[in-house]
Order: sequence, then C-alpha cells, then structure tokens
Amino acid sequence: MASEDFAVEVDGVVKRFGSLHALAGVSLRIRQGEVYGLLGPNGAGKTTLIRSLVGLVKPEEGSVTVLNRRMPNLDVLAHVGYMTQQAALYPDLTVEENLRFFAAINGVHGGIREALEVVGLWDRRGSIVSSLSGGMRTRCSLACALVHKPELLLLDEPTVGVDPLLRMQLWDRFQKMAREGTTILVSSHVMDEAERCDRLGLIRFGRLLAEGTVAQLQARAGVNRLEDAFLKLSEASAA
Amino acid sequence: MSRRRILAITRRLLQQFRHDRRTLALLFGAPLIILALLGYILRGGGDVPAMGVVNLDEGPLGALVASTLESSRTVAASRMSRQEADAKLHAGDLAGYVLLPADFTNRAQQQHAVVLGVELEGTEPALSGTIMQAVGQAFTALASQAGGVRFATQVSYLHGGANFDTLDYFGAAFIGLVVFFLVFVVTTVAFLRERSQGTLERLMASPLRRPEIVLGYMLGFTVLALVQAIEVLAFSLLLLHVHNSGNVGLIFLLEALMAIVAVNLGIFLSMFARTEFQAVQFIPLVIVPQMLLSGIIFPVTTEPGPLQVLSRLLPLTYAVTGMRDIMIKGADLSWSSLQLDLAVVLGFAILVIIAGATTLRRRIA
Repeated sequence: MASEDFAVEVDGVVKRFGSLHALAGVSLRIRQGEVYGLLGPNGAGKTTLIRSLVGLVKPEEGSVTVLNRRMPNLDVLAHVGYMTQQAALYPDLTVEENLRFFAAINGVHGGIREALEVVGLWDRRGSIVSSLSGGMRTRCSLACALVHKPELLLLDEPTVGVDPLLRMQLWDRFQKMAREGTTILVSSHVMDEAERCDRLGLIRFGRLLAEGTVAQLQARAGVNRLEDAFLKLSEASAA
Repeated sequence: MSRRRILAITRRLLQQFRHDRRTLALLFGAPLIILALLGYILRGGGDVPAMGVVNLDEGPLGALVASTLESSRTVAASRMSRQEADAKLHAGDLAGYVLLPADFTNRAQQQHAVVLGVELEGTEPALSGTIMQAVGQAFTALASQAGGVRFATQVSYLHGGANFDTLDYFGAAFIGLVVFFLVFVVTTVAFLRERSQGTLERLMASPLRRPEIVLGYMLGFTVLALVQAIEVLAFSLLLLHVHNSGNVGLIFLLEALMAIVAVNLGIFLSMFARTEFQAVQFIPLVIVPQMLLSGIIFPVTTEPGPLQVLSRLLPLTYAVTGMRDIMIKGADLSWSSLQLDLAVVLGFAILVIIAGATTLRRRIA
C-alpha cells in the first residue's frame, strides 16, 4: 500500500522517562478516514504515544510520520486537532472566545458556529467557561480541537467523565466525521467504546500487544467479549 | 470544636510543606539571605561618600576642620581647589564639598560665629545626610578646641534642594520599581496558569512557534504595563507633585523598557515553577535583593565592593539611576550616563526575551 494512504505512521518508537519505558518500540499505521482506538489501562503509554504524534514527545528511537510529514513539524499541526485529557481551556473566557482563539492560532477564522453546533454548545457560546459543567467543558474542549477542520483528530480519553447519553452522541459525531474523511485516533480504557472503532490497538507497558478489528481480536483470543480478549492477549504477551 | 479536626488540618499543612522542599528552603533560607545582605550593606565596610574640602583660610582653625574631615571615617574627604571641586561635583564624582572661607579663623576667634558653605550634589539623600553629619562632627571637634564657636551652614544643592522632600527623592526610583514589580508578578502567575490549566500543551501542539508565544505574551502584557505606567506617572506628577526636571516622554520610555524586562523575566522564571504558589516565591528572590541593591535606599557607591558588582548586574539599578537622572537632574538623551542606563535596560530586555524563548523550547521537548 502506498504511504499516502496512511494518516499516521509510527515506526519503532522508544521513549523512556528515567528507567520507565513509556514507549518500548511501538509501530502502528492508521489509514485515512479510519477510527482507530487505542486501548489500554492507565499508564500504558497512550498519552505518550499521542503526544509523540504532535511533537510534544521526542522519541529516542524510531520515527513518527503524520500526514506524510516527518515529525516534529509545526506546519502539519494546522491539520491536526488535539484534544488533551484535561479540558484545556481558558476558564476566564467565554466559549466563543476560546474557539476564536484556537481557530486563530491554527490560521482559520470561521468554523466557530459549525464546531459549536457539532458539540451542541452554540446556545452557550456566551457563557464563561468556568461556569460550565464538566461535561460541557469536555464538549467545548472537543469543539476547540475541531474548529480548524483537521484532517487528523487526536482524542485523548475524550469521554472520561461524560454521561452515557452524551458519550453516545459524541461517538456518533466521531463516526460521521470519519465517514467524511477525517482520521481519528481515540484513546480509551472503556471497552464498550472500542466496539465503535474500525480498528483497535491494545497497548500495555509501552508495547502494542495486538492490533485488528474487534472481530479479529476476539477470534485471535478465542473469546466473545472484547474485555476478555484484551485480558487474554495481554497475558499471552506477558508470558 | 474538635481538637482532632483542628489538628488534622495542622498536620496536613505541615505534611504539605515537608513534600515541598523548595518552599521550606525559601521559608528558612530567604530571611537569612535578606538579613545577611542588609547587614553586609550596612556594616560591610563599603565605600564612604567622597567629599571635597576647599580651604581658603590661612589660619589654624580652617586647617583643623579640614584635617578633622580628612581623618573622618564616614566620608572620604580630600582637599582641592574650588574649581576642581565644582568640576567633580558636576561630574558626579563628589557627593559634596565644604567651603572654608578666607576669614574663617578670624571670625571664629573674634566673633565666635562662623558660616560656611556646603555644596551638595543632592541626588541621593543618604549621601547628602552623611556629608552634613561629617561636617557637624568636624565642628564639634572645632568647638571643643576653640571654645564656644557657633557655626552655621549655608547649604546649596546642585540638584534638588531644600524644597525637595523625601518623596521627591524616592518618588523617581519608586515609579520605576512599582511598574517593574507588579508587571513581573502578574506575568509570572498568568504564564504559569497557562501551564497548569493545560492550555500551554495545546499551544505547543499547534503551528505556533515558540517566539510567537513569547512575543504575543510580551505585547499583551506590555500594553497593560504601559497603561499602568501612564497611570503611575500621571498620579505621581499631577496629584502627588513629585518633582520632575526632565522630559516625561523619557521617563515613559524607561518605564516601558522596564516593563518589557519584567514581562519577559516573568515568562522566563515561570518555567521553573510548577504551581502558582511556587511562582509567588520568586517575588522575594527577585524583588527584595533588587530593592536593597539597586540604590533606591542605599547608594550603590557606598556598598561594599562585591555588592557593587552585584548591583551593576541588576536591571533595576540602571532604571533607578536613569529615573533619578531624568527627574532630579533633568537629564536628556544627550547625557552619556542616561544613554548607558537606557542601553543597559534595553540589553536586559533583549536578554530576557531570548532566555524566555529558549527556555520555553527546552522545557517542552
């Protein structure tokens, strides 16, 4: 397959923090328009991997290519949306002011209304962020990651602390965006979300243990539930 | 009231400090450093103010006063001609000189009352005070020798004068200090908030260049700082009537440069703090030594040698000198001393901008 079909190519990436191997030689490829789920427990290396995709983590070994550009590359970041785990917003600004700021630093002017409608916050655009509920802040944070219409969307545990109804709506959005061509990498430790991904990567101890569709992973582990598959596959690789 | 609940809070507080070594170090280290600095300034045997003695008297009493002054430990007095004394006073090499008139001995012996002239440079009240004290002591010595001589001094000032009050002297220095201090605090905390609320991470994952972040911050806070500088200046000059012999535009220029130094120093130092609490700790470390060493209260020239070197490494020293040159002496851009002050403050500004931008890059990688 030609390399331009991949939005993300990670090749043998190693990153240590002191003696801890946060990433111990991870390789993965994400196709354009794919929803790729990065599954793993806390501390598995999910966030470090995502941070390496935007150049915030410099790999000691290996290479990271995003949208056909070798990272670190600042210009390619205008086409990447990154939603951090913590709803990173300016609490003293209104919802709309936050969006305007993140649009401007990514070099676009419009798209604010569109992004806010996606997350259902257009009516709250005048609210000061610190007055919003936790779920609204998460949605606002997502809108900030979407506002410049990125080709690649990196979502670090976007549904933590989000109620089930909103979670379902957000996943509908993700899948719709993917159908429209956006590549989405989403990390999670919630298994039921994994079912909605095109492909999954199981990550633990900084290693990618297994990769494939839900059905492939279940077949490989010989079990019917994804949760069991995950446990079985991590045991198998630890042994 | 439950003793247990109260003690739970107390214990938790002490535990927090145990985990925060830096705060502990500051809490127990900073007072000692500040007091040691103060002790060193005041007792460290620094240079004493230089004064001239112009003795036109040929009798014994003029010589007595002159030699008493020369042997004084609180001033470094040396005899010179009036022309030389005037030249050195204008150059700022003397804090003042005393003029013993030709009829000094005669008048002292016949009228038991003498008047002598004291010419003071006048910019730094501490120096003027030391000289007047030394003159007074010399006359006490004279009185005990010659018996019952009353003396009066006729003091004139090269800069400032009897119509200057304490605020006129300190106002100039404090205008610079206030702007520097507040802008520094606000920037440090604001930039740190960017880090703690996670938005810095987002900025770093955007096409923003590091220098763009630093420059954007600088412009934003500089706008605020300039408005503040205008306010402080207008209040000082129009309502407090702090004396000003110089150009208001020049004062503003110097204030603006100091504000830029403060903004970037704030950005730079906030890289070394993880929490707002830690950032606030930079205040005593950055501000207090500068207050003691920049010549606001204690003249730089009378500090012990090593401290003078340190003083000349601090930006506030140049700002204070520059402010006094403009406001008290009426300096304009043709003065080489003011050119130096402005150049040094500008140099500091560039230095901290670069430091801020490079540290930002390193801390993120």
